[in-house]
Amino acid sequence: MVLLNIDGIECRYGSVKVLENITFFVKDGDFIGILGPNGSGKTTLIRSISRVLKPYRGSILLDGKDVYVLKGVDVAKQVAVVPQESSIGFSFTALDIVLMGRNPHLRRFQMESQRDFEIAKKAMVLTNTWHLAERPVNELSGGERQRVIIARALAQEPRILLLDEPMTHLDIVNQLEIMDLIKDLCLKQRMIVLAVFHDLNMAARYCTSALLLKKGRVFSAGTVEEVLTAENIREVFAVDALVRKNPVTNSLYVIPMSPQKPVHNRQCSVHLICGAGTGAALMRVLLDDGYNVTAGVLNVLDTDFETAELLKVPVVTEAPFSPITPKAHKDNLTMISKARVVIVTSVPFGHGNLKNLEAAVEAVKNGIPTYVIENTPIERRDFTGGKAKLLMDELKENGAIILKDQVELLSILKVPAEQMLETRALATSIPGHVKNGGVEESREKDMD
Amino acid sequence: MGLDAVEASYFKRSSLWKFTVVLLAVILFVVIIVSLNVGYAQIPFEHILLILGKRVPGISSVIDSSVVPSVEEMIIMQIRLPRIFAGALVGAALAAAGVMYQGIFKNPMADSYVLGVSAGASVGASFAIVFGAGLTLVGMGAVQVAAFTGAILTVFLVYSISRVGPKVPVTTLLLSGIAVSIFLSAIVTILTVISGNKLHGIVFWLAGGFFNVEWVDVWAVVPFILLGILASYFFARDLNLLALGEETAQHLGVNTERVKQVLLVLGSLVTAAAVSISGLIGFVGLMIPHITRLLIGPDHRVLLPASTIIGAIFLVICDAVARVLTGAMELPVGVITALAGGPFFVYLLRKKKASYGM
Repeated sequence: MVLLNIDGIECRYGSVKVLENITFFVKDGDFIGILGPNGSGKTTLIRSISRVLKPYRGSILLDGKDVYVLKGVDVAKQVAVVPQESSIGFSFTALDIVLMGRNPHLRRFQMESQRDFEIAKKAMVLTNTWHLAERPVNELSGGERQRVIIARALAQEPRILLLDEPMTHLDIVNQLEIMDLIKDLCLKQRMIVLAVFHDLNMAARYCTSALLLKKGRVFSAGTVEEVLTAENIREVFAVDALVRKNPVTNSLYVIPMSPQKPVHNRQCSVHLICGAGTGAALMRVLLDDGYNVTAGVLNVLDTDFETAELLKVPVVTEAPFSPITPKAHKDNLTMISKARVVIVTSVPFGHGNLKNLEAAVEAVKNGIPTYVIENTPIERRDFTGGKAKLLMDELKENGAIILKDQVELLSILKVPAEQMLETRALATSIPGHVKNGGVEESREKDMD
Repeated sequence: MGLDAVEASYFKRSSLWKFTVVLLAVILFVVIIVSLNVGYAQIPFEHILLILGKRVPGISSVIDSSVVPSVEEMIIMQIRLPRIFAGALVGAALAAAGVMYQGIFKNPMADSYVLGVSAGASVGASFAIVFGAGLTLVGMGAVQVAAFTGAILTVFLVYSISRVGPKVPVTTLLLSGIAVSIFLSAIVTILTVISGNKLHGIVFWLAGGFFNVEWVDVWAVVPFILLGILASYFFARDLNLLALGEETAQHLGVNTERVKQVLLVLGSLVTAAAVSISGLIGFVGLMIPHITRLLIGPDHRVLLPASTIIGAIFLVICDAVARVLTGAMELPVGVITALAGGPFFVYLLRKKKASYGM
């Protein structure tokens, strides 16, 4: 059933419009993530629903009744809020604070009863704060205090829980524990949760649906899959992102990339012979430094292929898990002929991609400067019974330059090596990468 | 496990609070009786008991007070008792208002004078001393009426300056309180400059004290102070919730704007009433709430009544000290509270720096 109905609200601070024409409704058991960049109005939406900031236009209906017409106490019996920051005056103990959550259920001079105490205790046990009961809340760490505040919200026994970036002070274990707890309450007690998230992956993991705000308006609303698309993220946050399914949790995950710098002259063309994630970082760094980057041949679904797609790097492709066909090889040679430099990364070679090494030999024979990054000796990544080794030797004989790692390459190309750092983290965080011994090893070394 | 003890102590909390308040009330009673014995004129303690006993319904018939000289009875009943009552009332009012203001402002340096009550009362009193001392209004001295009026007008002014639409942001309130106080202090200085031979009166009033307090002065402020303090207890739990911040308090069902407005009015009323009979007595409104919080914790449901009584006890003792310290020439009680309060406050700050609790 529809419990909370946000009906066309517009909120202002003074004369500045912060939210405009926000309309959505919430049903029992919904877990809604409120997403958006800084200043998009997420916190304002929470404040407005929680009866603190009256909308200039529109209304917020709780069971069909306007929350700004209802008494504060009656709303507080149903709606609890966990704010972003809490500073607490005076040295109240953690238990004092949690018991304050019972306030809306008490009459003016009524003392907390045994039952109120039990409810507070249960909330504290659930949030793993019961052992802190007697400690002054000002002496607790940020994370402990935040869990006490969450316990206080739970002690309110709300039907609707509003969370405003509740995870700010929590470490990763606490984040997961608290979110699991809240998700559980959502599922078992049909509690409604509306939560502001900065971490899109947290949102994707726990929310059933999402509301993406941009400049005070709803940009997109619906299921997490509908809302969290690479396109929406680019539009709203102005960053490129990879959106994939996490194989472990089966929820979406988002890998944001830092915004691309504008490049003025893309003249020098570099062709990468790579694969299995060995070229992803280089692509990024070279693009940022103004090189024109091409790559190939890459199998569709290869990690480097996905990165190339994202970075809009022209690629000669081959079908997934298929050996390079003569046609692809020919296209690759054409592409190489237009390049000023060819780079061969420490990619493992098997029968499927051996043609790429042949292409490199062709390039060097045609007088195109060719750099070979060899931080793993070819013997250890040659899965062709020595054919790759022979081709590599031929490369060297014809004048290809052997480099010990990417840093050396960058210094030759005069690209600041620090730029690797950022992209390095990115490359290692791309999951779904085949954990083949040789590949993994070569990548590790690459990174070091 | 210690936490079972937590559980047990929480259920004993309410009776512990009641016990604390009753105990403090008993201490106040004893302090009042003892301080009746303090003064320039030596009056035997039995005589004091006889004088009081004569007035207690039920046992008055069995008490023979014929041994007590009538001058002693006059000193006790017409000089010391009204003065002690005034001390207790003023101490209670300043401490209670201090608790209210510290709760509203969430600021440890807030006291009963934070909204300019003291400055307003000073202007009123100085005006009356310079231009119209000796006048009386409905039996009360002009100085008292002027001080009360000045205080109330000032708070009203500060409040109007800070109001933004229907809301009163506490930071603005604090700052405009300071600004108005500074302005009014300048006026007081002008008045002292032009006061001529009345300078002594102004200085003495500003220092605070209970000279020449009569029953009529006490009765005039009793309703404001008692009703004001009692009414503030209605909002004790709301004050606890305000400690979480105004927005959170609203989330927990507190009508914060109304609570703030009512408590500001009550606090100003009791302070203005207190100041009108005693002049400026510092440190009580700042220090007593802090001391009480350290003794019994921050919960306003016990903090408010306990601070009220401790404030009364403290000021009665200070006034007794003021009466005897320098023989016939007594010190203003404001000097005693400041002398006792300043160093004590520093001591507290140093000792409890980490857990001072604000």
